[in-house]
Amino acid sequence: MTNAKTTTAASAVEDQALTYPSPFKEFWQGFAHNKGAVAGLLFMTIVTLCAILAPLVAPHNPIEQFREHLLQPPVWLDGGSASFLLGTDELGRDILSRLIYGARLSLFIGLCSVVMALLPGVILGLLAAFFPKSLGSVIMRLMDIMMALPSLLLAVAIMAILGPGLLNAMIAIATVSLPAYVRLTRASAMTELNRDYVTASRVAGAGLWRQMFITVLPNCMAPLIVHATMSFSSAILEIAALGFLGLGVQPPTPEWGTMLASARDYIERAWWVVSLPGLTILLSVLAINLMGDGLRDALDPKLKRAA
Amino acid sequence: MLSFIFRRLGLLVPTFFGITLLTFGLIRMIPGDPVEVMVGERSLDPQMHAEAMHRLGLDKPLYAQYLDYIGNLAHGNLGESLVTKTSVWTEFKTLFPATLELALAAMLFAAVFGLLAGVVAAIKRGSIFDHGVMGISLTGFSMPIFWWGLILIMFFSVKLGWTPVSGRLDLAFDIAPRTGFMLVDTWLAEAADPSANAGAFKDAVMHLILPAIVLGTIPLAVIARMTRSSMLEVLREDYVRTARAKGLSPARVIFIHTLRNALIPVLTVIGLQVGTLMGGAVLTETIFSWPGIGKWLIDAIGRRDYPVVQNGILIVATLVIVTNFIVDILYGVANPRIRHAK
Repeated sequence: MTNAKTTTAASAVEDQALTYPSPFKEFWQGFAHNKGAVAGLLFMTIVTLCAILAPLVAPHNPIEQFREHLLQPPVWLDGGSASFLLGTDELGRDILSRLIYGARLSLFIGLCSVVMALLPGVILGLLAAFFPKSLGSVIMRLMDIMMALPSLLLAVAIMAILGPGLLNAMIAIATVSLPAYVRLTRASAMTELNRDYVTASRVAGAGLWRQMFITVLPNCMAPLIVHATMSFSSAILEIAALGFLGLGVQPPTPEWGTMLASARDYIERAWWVVSLPGLTILLSVLAINLMGDGLRDALDPKLKRAA
Repeated sequence: MLSFIFRRLGLLVPTFFGITLLTFGLIRMIPGDPVEVMVGERSLDPQMHAEAMHRLGLDKPLYAQYLDYIGNLAHGNLGESLVTKTSVWTEFKTLFPATLELALAAMLFAAVFGLLAGVVAAIKRGSIFDHGVMGISLTGFSMPIFWWGLILIMFFSVKLGWTPVSGRLDLAFDIAPRTGFMLVDTWLAEAADPSANAGAFKDAVMHLILPAIVLGTIPLAVIARMTRSSMLEVLREDYVRTARAKGLSPARVIFIHTLRNALIPVLTVIGLQVGTLMGGAVLTETIFSWPGIGKWLIDAIGRRDYPVVQNGILIVATLVIVTNFIVDILYGVANPRIRHAK
């Protein structure tokens, strides 16, 4: 009797081992295999939490000026104090608080611009794949034109027309990253269109929209997700670059790139004003790129083997 | 080959016209009409406004305005700057060598170190060196280059005093621009008059080093990664195994059999970095006060000098598409499979 029980238990274990792992578990195994990706995820989780909980986490108001504490160094240097952990800038504002609130802004703009590029990008890409002759060639020529301009230059040009500001920065960055989404969606949809299951759904009488979004699109998601991650990181870089050039988010709003725009004048006296915002940008972008690599490994085993 | 070139050329023409449409539309999307933009804050009575509109041809329908614009472009008339009143083309011509010099230096830096790092990383795959190169290149790829420039200035210029902070040449030197390339000009000037211009060439080099490193950082990262993966792919090929089995020396296998074949995709990547370089030049030139195209465009935007913005962007975009076209053709020359693909 006991013997029989153990056998069933053993076979149950065996069954479990033989069953296909749940998609999430499979994904996580692929992702966790990449140590850098896990480190990136950890870092970005902290940054995101800081951004969401900014009013609770930040020690000071990011735009409050402490006039008696101008250019005070970080706590571990002579003259630093515990109330300004990372020091203060030229107007006596707490750098740590500005960085934390800046994370809010950078992540928000990044996310919005990714969504604003992803949605039209996917729709245009699918249309281009489903109607390659007529609509497709028009769309692709348009994208070629947009690709011909260096992305930062195009973003700068758009900002020159729209004027500086938060929403305009999002529009500029989304516009710049649009062509890559269109091309990527079109390319993966074109390969899927030749598959039997798409023909089957067509024969079964699926309408155009159903074929596009329910039959084909889910099978093109893997490269799109990876690309969205990568373009999220380049969006953060571009926002910072626009801010640095004085075209992005306007002071005194704490934005990482805008913080660097005025830092140039203090290069000889206050290294922390110059280095810390840039270091935050670098680490965030690096973390997201590492996550992107991990996502690619997890979602697209073919690419992994090719690399 | 010729049909391949013509096919690519056929794609180039609509792209160019698309860009003219873009730059044409650019100036018309600005709130207010161009005349208001030109006078700026001052108010203008309706009579003069209408006259100005008529003089500039802005009262015609849009398609006619576009045809005028194309007509002007075809005559080489790119308009003139609202601020300096010199023609946009003249301004571009005087500033472009500075950007080209910077971009070439950056590309040289990126290509030499990127190829070297990529090749060694591929040969020593899995080693600490390989991981180091990949880590550094991912960091370089994620680098906000405007900050990178500030950090380098802070360290090498301010702290160590090795390199100058900004500009192309010390003000003490008075070098007549002959080619526009500072390295060439100072070299010539020093050769012509060694006593007056001693040290000018070295000074120009020192001015160029940091901006070139900053601008070359992202291309360096891209080239290193691309070289490594392309080398790894070729190293798996049968002909490499054959070459090894024949008993050729490892150096010969690497440099003659592998690298030459691995270079094709790398060269394309190098060519396609032109766009990145032009975008990066905007930031690099701003940080280093480098008097080139990037700084010119940013300054023009700041001064609302729209003809410069409009046609400056047109010139840069044309430059990029022409370079990409040349890269395409060279790629076709190097790889017949591309040339004959439909």
